[in-house]
Amino acid sequence: MTKRIFSNPSFTPTAQADGALTSSTYMAIKGGSATMQVTIYEVFETGQASATGYNAMCLAYASTLETTPTALALPVTTGYVNPNGGALSTTEVAFTAASTGPTRAAATTLPRLRLGFNPYGGIVRWTPAPSTEWTQFGNSTNGGETLLSAENYGTAAAMAANIVYEIV
Amino acid sequence: MADKLGYLFVDHRASPGLTPEQARLNGYDPKLAAEGKLFEADTMRCAHCPNVVIRNPDRIRARSSCLKCGDKYICDNCAFLASQPDYVHKPFQAKLDETYENLLKLQTTTSLDHLFSKDA
Repeated sequence: MTKRIFSNPSFTPTAQADGALTSSTYMAIKGGSATMQVTIYEVFETGQASATGYNAMCLAYASTLETTPTALALPVTTGYVNPNGGALSTTEVAFTAASTGPTRAAATTLPRLRLGFNPYGGIVRWTPAPSTEWTQFGNSTNGGETLLSAENYGTAAAMAANIVYEIV
Repeated sequence: MADKLGYLFVDHRASPGLTPEQARLNGYDPKLAAEGKLFEADTMRCAHCPNVVIRNPDRIRARSSCLKCGDKYICDNCAFLASQPDYVHKPFQAKLDETYENLLKLQTTTSLDHLFSKDA
C-alpha cells in the first residue's frame, strides 16, 4: 500500500480526562475492517498559539469507540502521498468529530505515547524506526483505533498536526 | 541484530518551552525542553508490547533485550514478565499475526458453518 497523510491544519485540543472526547479536539484513525492493520510512521505537531500554554498531546488507543464518526471536511484532509496509490475496497476511517466521541484507553497495560509541547512556538516530530512503528489492528477497542488528543494537564491551545500512516 | 532507533524532535527554540514538571511528564529532559531549547532523543519500541520509550542517555542499568526476538529491545515491564518461570514467549508481531490468523479462521469457519447449515 501507499502511505497516507492525515492532516489537520488547525484545531484546539481540550485538556480532558480519559472520557468521551469532545469533537474537533482530537484526530482519530480507525481500521476499516476486523483484519486491517494501520501503521503510523510519523506524528508532527506545530503550535499556533499566541500565548504560552501546554498541549499534553498523546497517542493512545480507544477503549470505547465513537458513535457515527463525521466525514472529514476541509481543511482537514487524508490522502495518498503517492498519487499512484491504488484505491482500496475498504478504507480506514479518519475523523475528528463524531456523535459521541471515542474514549482514550486508560489501562496501564496499553501504550500511551506522550508528545506534549508548548503551543506558543513549539514543534514536535516523532518518527519510529522501521519495524518499531505505532501499530493498530482491526477496528475494535484497545488496539483498533488510535487517537491523538490532549491529556488533562495544563491549558491547551491551537495547533496543527500531521499523521503519516499506511494501511498494511 | 540490535534494534534500530526512532527519532523524537521537540523544538522550543522559538517558544517559552515547558516547565520541568511538564517535561518530565513526557519523558523529556527538563533542561532541554525549556525556553529556547531543542530536545532530540532516540526512541525504542518494545518487541513484546507496543510501548514506545524515550531512551535515557544517563541510564546505567542494563537495558533488556530478547534473544528469541533477534536481540531486540524489550521494556522493563516485559523484561520482568519474561523473567518469570511460567512466561510464554510471544512477541508483539506474533500477537498481531495470531489475531489476524484467528480472524481469518473465524471468517472461514463462519462461511463453512453457513454452508453446513444450508445442507442441513
